[in-house]
Amino acid sequence: MHLHKFEKIWLVFGMASLALFLLITGFAAFWKGTHPQSHIETIDPQNVEAHEAFKPENLGLQEVADGKYTVNIVASAFNYDFGTDADGKAVKRIRVPKGSTVLFQITTKDVVHGFQVAGTNVNMMVEPGHVSRLETVMKNTGEFTVVCNEYCGVGHHQMFAVVEVYE
Amino acid sequence: MANKNKKQNQTTPKESEISLKGTFISVMLLGVFILALWFGSYALFLSR
Repeated sequence: MHLHKFEKIWLVFGMASLALFLLITGFAAFWKGTHPQSHIETIDPQNVEAHEAFKPENLGLQEVADGKYTVNIVASAFNYDFGTDADGKAVKRIRVPKGSTVLFQITTKDVVHGFQVAGTNVNMMVEPGHVSRLETVMKNTGEFTVVCNEYCGVGHHQMFAVVEVYE
Repeated sequence: MANKNKKQNQTTPKESEISLKGTFISVMLLGVFILALWFGSYALFLSR
């Protein structure tokens, strides 16, 4: 089979790009541990409180070790439940120091929701019956808005919170 | 019929004579664009 010289060049270019992309994807998956956020861990959406992480007293931000945090959230139409503060008010703002490792654990009681900390790599789909987890290092300071990015109903736009990363 | 085919073959330029320069440039521009997008998104992922 005869191939034009240029054809050979762009075929090699295309295949090399594909190989490179696959290598980087493989590196991210097997070396850096990037995996789907829902690890096929199931939960009863009617009774999320039965799960240790989603007991009302365990919701919200917890420091589990030096510089390591866990944030447990229950999403429902149309609210993110981060637990309550000392005054009994619903928490809508969490603060973590820069460089801390934060594990977000979230589930939903009703429909599919999204959980995106806009401006960071935290972006998960939250499906009823599943627990979504994502661990990240908060590299940059700032105020990041948490938004629901899966349309969940008329109050979709009311689902928000703030993650503040301070120096 | 056979004659007609012969005539057509004669008027078609040989492969080596076809200029693929324009195609080559377009393919490479598209390739570079895709690479730039890919690495741009990856850099964004790493920086956040």
